Amino acid sequence: MEMPKVTRRTFLKVSAGSGAAVAAAPRLLHAMEADLGGKDFGPVTMAERKAIPINCHVCNIQDGAIAYVENDRVVKLEGNPEHVSTRGRLCAKGNAGMWYSYDPDRIMFPMKRVGARGEGKWKRITWDEALTELARKLDAALKEDPNTIMLKYGRQRTGGVIDRFMHTLGTATLLNHTSVCESSKKVGMEPTWGPDIETPDFANAKYVLNFGSNILEAAYFHNPLSQRITEGRVDNHMKIVTFDVRLSNTAGFSDEWIPVHPGTDGAVALAMGHVILRENLQDSEFINTWTNVTVDELKAHYKQYTPEWAEKISGVPAASIERIAIEFASTKPATLFTYRGPAKHLYGSYNEKACMMLPIMTGNIETRGGYCLPRGMGWPQPQPQPPKPAHGSYLADHPDYPLAAHKVSHLVPFWIADGKQKINVYISYQDNPVYTNPGAMAVWGKLFKDEKLIPYYVSMSPFMGEETALADLILPDCPYLERWEPESMPNSLWPWVGIRQPVHKSLGESRENRIMMRDIIWKLDPDGKRGMKKFWNFKDGEDYMRHHFDNIPGLKEAGGLDFMKKHGVWPIYGKLDPKSGKVVDKTGREIKAEYGLFKKELSAADMAGTTVDGHGTIMKNGAAIGVRRNGRNYVGFPTGNRVINVRIDQWAEYGFNPMPTFKRIPWHETMKEDELIMTTFKLNVHKQSRTAAVKWLAEIAHSNPMWINQATANKIGVKTGDLVRVESKVGYLVTKAYVTEGIHPKTVAIPTGFGHWEYGRLATLKLKEKKAEYSHGQDDADLNNVWWDDKGVHPNNIIPAVADPIGGSQGWYDTVVKVTKAGPTDKYGDTQGDWEKHYAAYKETLRYAYTGDLHRKMHPEMASWAGPASVKHKTGGGH
Amino acid sequence: MLTELLLETPTKVSHGGAPHLLPTRLAIDELRARADVYRLLSGVFVEEPSAAFLDALRRPESLGQLAEAGLRFDGDFIEASIDVLVEQLAIEYTTLFANSGGFPPVESVRLFGRFKQEPNFETMQTYRRLGFVLHPGRFEVFADQIGVELMFVAELLDRSAAALASGDAADAKRLEKEIKRFWVQHLGRWVRGYAQLIERSAEHSYFREMARFLRGFAAEEIEAMELRVEDADQARLVVPKAEVKVEFNPDEPVCNGCVSETIERQGGAQTLHDLR
Repeated sequence: MEMPKVTRRTFLKVSAGSGAAVAAAPRLLHAMEADLGGKDFGPVTMAERKAIPINCHVCNIQDGAIAYVENDRVVKLEGNPEHVSTRGRLCAKGNAGMWYSYDPDRIMFPMKRVGARGEGKWKRITWDEALTELARKLDAALKEDPNTIMLKYGRQRTGGVIDRFMHTLGTATLLNHTSVCESSKKVGMEPTWGPDIETPDFANAKYVLNFGSNILEAAYFHNPLSQRITEGRVDNHMKIVTFDVRLSNTAGFSDEWIPVHPGTDGAVALAMGHVILRENLQDSEFINTWTNVTVDELKAHYKQYTPEWAEKISGVPAASIERIAIEFASTKPATLFTYRGPAKHLYGSYNEKACMMLPIMTGNIETRGGYCLPRGMGWPQPQPQPPKPAHGSYLADHPDYPLAAHKVSHLVPFWIADGKQKINVYISYQDNPVYTNPGAMAVWGKLFKDEKLIPYYVSMSPFMGEETALADLILPDCPYLERWEPESMPNSLWPWVGIRQPVHKSLGESRENRIMMRDIIWKLDPDGKRGMKKFWNFKDGEDYMRHHFDNIPGLKEAGGLDFMKKHGVWPIYGKLDPKSGKVVDKTGREIKAEYGLFKKELSAADMAGTTVDGHGTIMKNGAAIGVRRNGRNYVGFPTGNRVINVRIDQWAEYGFNPMPTFKRIPWHETMKEDELIMTTFKLNVHKQSRTAAVKWLAEIAHSNPMWINQATANKIGVKTGDLVRVESKVGYLVTKAYVTEGIHPKTVAIPTGFGHWEYGRLATLKLKEKKAEYSHGQDDADLNNVWWDDKGVHPNNIIPAVADPIGGSQGWYDTVVKVTKAGPTDKYGDTQGDWEKHYAAYKETLRYAYTGDLHRKMHPEMASWAGPASVKHKTGGGH
Repeated sequence: MLTELLLETPTKVSHGGAPHLLPTRLAIDELRARADVYRLLSGVFVEEPSAAFLDALRRPESLGQLAEAGLRFDGDFIEASIDVLVEQLAIEYTTLFANSGGFPPVESVRLFGRFKQEPNFETMQTYRRLGFVLHPGRFEVFADQIGVELMFVAELLDRSAAALASGDAADAKRLEKEIKRFWVQHLGRWVRGYAQLIERSAEHSYFREMARFLRGFAAEEIEAMELRVEDADQARLVVPKAEVKVEFNPDEPVCNGCVSETIERQGGAQTLHDLR
């Protein structure tokens, strides 16, 4: 048979003509990187690695992940393709998570302080010794007053264990970290529409307003939401406008970056609302049906907020405000997102409220591509549960901040120093206020060092953070890869429940939190006679999880805990399509989200035994379960009256403006020409305080020069790399300048997460200071090549405490500073904060509380308010 | 004894073949002497020393032998009351070996910069293969912790001595190979450099001298077993100039002609024979 003559010309022809056949030919070999994931192989053995689904917990986005284990250690982490929110993607932080487990500076045994506090002298002790000592201290405190036992947590995802522990002890002195996180965002939202956060449907939006959120890098849910915002931008051609003091990568990704004067986002949002209402672009039907105000009331109220007024305050041109407002209101669907930018100010709650009013007044609520309610799932708790404490705690529910439903924990040191509440035993769990809070070492360091104020301090931590270094007793907690925890986060439009499960036995003698707390209770109540032990009747972490997961309807039938151990997440909505990156159904179409949750109608069974009041609120057993509109019974919004409260009557009770408003920060109004506002921000590869020792992340980012605008830098003669002295009213620091056009001229910005003085040898770069003695890891090319010698400068010493009188938030972005070229005696890294000055700042911020002397001055529109004595409800709002 | 708590042999050593007719008493004694030193050093580093362990060490005969080996303890070890000594050494142990910022005595950390890396898995596999199970002592301990690795060799030496005593030279030979392999794959790769690091870092003379002893003993063992293994622990590579002692004029041309015994012995390096 004659061989066919194949020339280049003929095979090109064959190729052109046989495309369909080629497409239909079987393809068995795929590029590994194009495969779906969920499997991994050892490069040497080629054996399939054990894959254990988990929930990431390097930061709090809660991505679905898979830990690949080889020879009983995690060698790789990647996204879980079955997870509906994160869809197989994991960020840089998540990829580096195993470093927590194997960190050479990890604490794996109980340790007792033997020198002075903070001296660094410790003695390893057994668990029994540790628990015996702690039980003795707790016992003495319980006899005096259970509330003298305080626990403050930072990042806790125990699923209810901390509350169980404190309730078992009968103490209400349980503090969180939320006031330094996002509490005024929560408190701005909760009384308005119920939940504490929104879920913007970026993927389907046509227009996005982004106020102060760096969603592509750091803001809440940055992994799942950055995927959706990219889809919206690329696939849906949406427009995005970002208001931020800094040209973040999100601002750079946006169609427009509008540099706004710090703390004035609310004024811009109100002015946009003014334009929308003036131009009659609002959704009148939505406002009149689903909010507690009418369109006319809203128009009358917004008349005062003109674009010209906002321009004077924010620096944003009135014409831009006009244009963007009209674009936003006339483009459907549109959504909005905020994070700390608007909220972390003296009146952050007002700012948040002003921003969320824009999707409300345009009717973009719970629509495809709009501003949606968060979707989450819960789980039942093991029974029996301890009752709530009998008496409230001054520190946990401060009477001057009754609306701050998420507490005001950053003022706690001052309240303790003022003798407002006695503490006998202080317990911290994943909380490092000595580093993360305003005042840092100058405030919290001083508190922890004072044995009169804190007679006994226990840190539950796997690492020697700045707070743990000051403890009396360290109980070694497990990093996240060794813990059992239930998880759910509203980080997409599909609700899910997930699990964190240990990938191997915990190292050394570390114990996960629930086991540690169980053991403390068992020590206190060994025979159960004190009535405590019955609340801690579980064998181990897995047994505890079974109580959760085997009792969730739907999941129970699917296999409960066994299903979760295998898949890591439930429900599994579909399959991840590796080409589109989306979760698809059996037909290959992307799964659809459910919208309009508030329009779900109540069933006849739901309506049995209900009453309906004059506002249409459907009441059952003393609680509002829905709202009647146009003759139909809807579930409505999860607020007290089931509608959106544009007017928050409870705020008015305390002399706050119940309607959307803006308050300028008084000390910003009186700034001198050479003064600037200092803000902080997070980078994409670090979280607030716990990643500086993660070598892969530290190599990417390890120092934090201060961003300063070119024009501002020119005035003081500073170039990139020059040392600058930054001085606030409570202290000063010396750092390096990064001169850029990408920041508002009246602002400087310092990234957080750097400049540790504790947290192990990599975070502190001690291995560089004494290389010969400290070096290790000869077989580890990365560790042997720590080429950087700059660990950065931590800014918190010079940031004074500010508390939003409504939401309780720390005003992270309110600090006025003076920046000068460093003097001859200034050294890089110098930082000093002064307790007395911080204390004076605390006293100053109290003046803005509803009980303070400046409250009325700041609210002339509330002249008819009868003062603090007129307040009927003493308890806080929110959820 | 501490060591008995940690490494347990669930199965009896099997002695293949007929008893050897002429076991060399000297070889058996040497194996047992070596095992004792391994056990002693294991006891020093595996966890905080107990009062019983320290009491035994401070007996005149023990101190005398250790002094003969060149160990020079200060008053903090010789003169302190036993209660004070136990407390001081527990604190020093924590500082050196258990606290953040210290020097975990763990091969994974020394060579890979992290806990629970390949050496941990490999040592555990080796222990299992040879019929050992790792049990916690007063505290949990990693399989590649220095005290456990030393204890393992001690166990093999004892088995080897038992094999010789029962005339099973083949088994003794097999065990010798296991010991050599373990040194080349594990102890030899990190223990000398690490010992030097501890010698420099310790504040208490007990750990300083014991680390010095460990370094010398390790060097001697490697030489005696005729092993060629580079110490990969970085701490060994950098020696402050002030600590370098020479018995020759460094400016003279080097001829490679002779090796001074005194050079071998100076600088604190002790040989196995010193102990005997």
